[in-house]
Amino acid sequence: MQPLIQVESLRKLYRSGKGLNSGHVVPAINEVSFSIAPGITLALVGESGSGKTTLALCLACFERPTSGRIWFGGRDIAALEEKQLRVVRPQIQLVFQDPASSLNPRLTAHEIVTEPLLLQRNWQERQMRERGFALLERVGLSREVATCRARELSGGQRQRLVIARALSLEPKLLILDEALSALDCSTQAQIANLLVELQTSSALTFLFITHDLVMAAHLADEIAVMNRGQIVEQGVPEKLLASPQHEATRSLIAGMPRAIVRPHMSGAC
Amino acid sequence: MTKRRKLVKWLVVLGALHGVVACAGFLSPYDPTEQDRERPYAPPVRLHFRDTQRRFHIRPFLYPLRVREGSFAQFDEDTARVTPVRFFVDGSSYRLLGLVPCRLHLFGAFPARICLLGTDGYGRDQLSRILYGGQVSLAAGLLGAGITLLFGLGIGTAAGYYGGWRDDVLMRLAELFMALPWLYLLLGLRAFLPLSVRPTQAFLLIVIVIGLVGWARPARLIRSVVLSFKERDFVRAARGFGASDGYILIRHILPETSSVLLTQAAILVPQYILAEMALSFLGLGVPEPLASWGNLLANLRQYSVLMSYWWMYLPAVAIVPFFIGYLGLASALQEWADPSKWA
Amino acid sequence: MRFLLRRLAHAAFLLFAVSILTYLFASLAPGDYFDEMRLNPQIAPQTVVALRAQYRLDRPLPLRYVRWLDSVVHGDLGYSFSYNSSVAPLLLVRARNTLVLTLTAALLAWGLALPLGVRSAEHVGRLPDALVSWMTAGLLVVPDVVLALGLLLFAARSGWFPTGGLVSIDFDSLSLGRKLLDLVLHIMLPVSVLVLTALPVLVRHVRSAMAGVLEAPFLQTARGHGIPRRRLLYRYALPAAANPLISLFGFSVGTLLSGSLLVEVVMSWPGLGPLLVEAILSRDLYVVIGGVLLSTLFLVIGNLIADLLLYWADPRIRVE
Repeated sequence: MQPLIQVESLRKLYRSGKGLNSGHVVPAINEVSFSIAPGITLALVGESGSGKTTLALCLACFERPTSGRIWFGGRDIAALEEKQLRVVRPQIQLVFQDPASSLNPRLTAHEIVTEPLLLQRNWQERQMRERGFALLERVGLSREVATCRARELSGGQRQRLVIARALSLEPKLLILDEALSALDCSTQAQIANLLVELQTSSALTFLFITHDLVMAAHLADEIAVMNRGQIVEQGVPEKLLASPQHEATRSLIAGMPRAIVRPHMSGAC
Repeated sequence: MTKRRKLVKWLVVLGALHGVVACAGFLSPYDPTEQDRERPYAPPVRLHFRDTQRRFHIRPFLYPLRVREGSFAQFDEDTARVTPVRFFVDGSSYRLLGLVPCRLHLFGAFPARICLLGTDGYGRDQLSRILYGGQVSLAAGLLGAGITLLFGLGIGTAAGYYGGWRDDVLMRLAELFMALPWLYLLLGLRAFLPLSVRPTQAFLLIVIVIGLVGWARPARLIRSVVLSFKERDFVRAARGFGASDGYILIRHILPETSSVLLTQAAILVPQYILAEMALSFLGLGVPEPLASWGNLLANLRQYSVLMSYWWMYLPAVAIVPFFIGYLGLASALQEWADPSKWA
Repeated sequence: MRFLLRRLAHAAFLLFAVSILTYLFASLAPGDYFDEMRLNPQIAPQTVVALRAQYRLDRPLPLRYVRWLDSVVHGDLGYSFSYNSSVAPLLLVRARNTLVLTLTAALLAWGLALPLGVRSAEHVGRLPDALVSWMTAGLLVVPDVVLALGLLLFAARSGWFPTGGLVSIDFDSLSLGRKLLDLVLHIMLPVSVLVLTALPVLVRHVRSAMAGVLEAPFLQTARGHGIPRRRLLYRYALPAAANPLISLFGFSVGTLLSGSLLVEVVMSWPGLGPLLVEAILSRDLYVVIGGVLLSTLFLVIGNLIADLLLYWADPRIRVE
């Protein structure tokens, strides 16, 4: 089957230091290649600083890679102009780690979730109202929440709202960058279950970025381990956990709590 | 809710004060340019309830002033003529709120001149001049503040949002303006413009000059607000949905500047009223015969006036309640919670 | 060291930029000193042209600026048309008077603000703090013009203070003691206005800086060690709170300088203020430029001194 998105030899270099002090060139992503088949969840796991977030930003077209190609919908989106990207953007959505900073605290939930629709200008007033409520319901937020301002919501509700907003343009690929890390244990479980349910009902593809191997093992169909800007190992969770090949994978596994290498996750962590 | 109540309280106080000045036409008995050469530097009239025959009148009355023989600006009360004060009288015409022609005045005492705050060298009623002068000075303060904030908003937003060399250049310019002592800058700017202009032109000129002096500090404050919100994830997310720069600025960033703008307004307006007063006092502001608090006080530069006619000092007192109001408003605004903060 | 050099370079740049700005504005002004003369029918137009050429006002702008800059560097600030003398000595005498006024006011203002602010911070929420708070609020609402005119009125009416000038007419004939008294009487009212207008802002800042420091654990520890109150306040707490206050000091120089202009005019103190106003009204070009430049210079020097103090007081800056 054709992969939904295919990354070829991606490199992203950053210059450290400003102005006269610049010198050090840091490769945040160094020759990364992988692909994601439609309808699955790929988890990208690694320590902080391994380049995961940079990769997410490049895939979501917030940053331009230094070299390499990203094939999506038959085109290399890394090479597109801003104008051309406008068509592509709605199809790849990014959910950030901190729901507080991804939402404008002044706006109401309904305003937030319908903002993308407003910007894409393809919905009428009345339809948009209903669509907003529908989106909120889909992520488990009741109608009463619609008129609450973002700052009045709990952490879990905020993250649901962020996901609802990301879904409003019906993306094909949803990139979740440490989307559960800022939440408390029970909320994590709830949101994780929501994601699973959304995937089955809407045929979404997820790129799930985390440093938590437990979470990845639970949610993903495939895990890719990232270390120092490169993908060092890739495979199905059971195989990876049972016989890790790379040093980085081994150290990640070593950091996991012993008791939990099981497919199910309950409310308690 | 007490923070909000405090805010409302100060807004009401200021509103009332501005309202009084706005109704200058109704509240003042005379036209501010109306002269009475026979009674220059007349002291404030005294209102009486008991006349010389010890009779009590319910309606307050006054004795018209008569020049003492062979003297200048020395007056006696003409106790023969009891002139009652009447309310809601017909008088000189004016335009209520600048629009509606009207002739009704709150009080008057025809045929005598009821100058409750005395008169100046041309016999013009000081109360009327203070009220009308207030309109000019307050307008200068408000308009000047408006110009500064508009300017500061534009420059601060451009510097903060676009960054780069634009930011550097603009902030260096701001530093320059802040380095100069503001009154010297004001005078300097005023100096290099035509000296003798018609009153309305002069007014506009000084408003623009005053407005241009103080843009630096608001611009810097707005710039820091814009900078802090520019990199927020929700702005980035909006860009991800295809938002243009303009949309992001208007929808997400500029609403955050509202509290800065309001607080700065409350701080700048009284400073600018003072700036107008300073300019006019020095002879570089609003010219005669248009009254402003500044040029009313300029009379005091003559030693003889200062020594003998104390009521000419009163325009200086008029600004104090406004200062109190604006200062109170500024501190209430600063205490008022910023709605974009997380609870 | 680098810090100081940077500040110095910054100050120099500022002065340079201000000089260009003022010269530009001045030269763009419609009309000049000689326009008044032109209107006078008794003076022949050729004379005006000749005078213009003599003062070289007919050369192009950049050339004039360069010449002017060159002469400034050599100490010549130009020529005053109305006073018929060189600008520099004129400005310097007036500048001296303004400095005397401003520096006295600065010393007095800070001399009062520090103990008041410290006292207030020590007794937060109690009577001394409340009294100081009311006093500052009361002073804040009275603008300097009002205060200056009010005091002038008082001086005129009561006769206790002179109503203007640096010294009395018969100054030279007085004994040394009386000379001093005369000077003090003359300076007292203008200084009072400046001090009273500056005081509320200073007191509030001292109070908030000190209140913050007094809460700090290191101070509680010191108090626990039994260090006497005065030493505690002035040798331990105040230096820790000094950082923002030193910056405020530099800033207060600027505000005092601005304030002094109006006060000098109102109370007839022969400083830069009245000179500048006069020069503006008579379009005396070089006096205006020189005056603005000089006052900016004072401001810049004030800020540099504040930077120096900061450097000396705060070890963190030295490490940088």
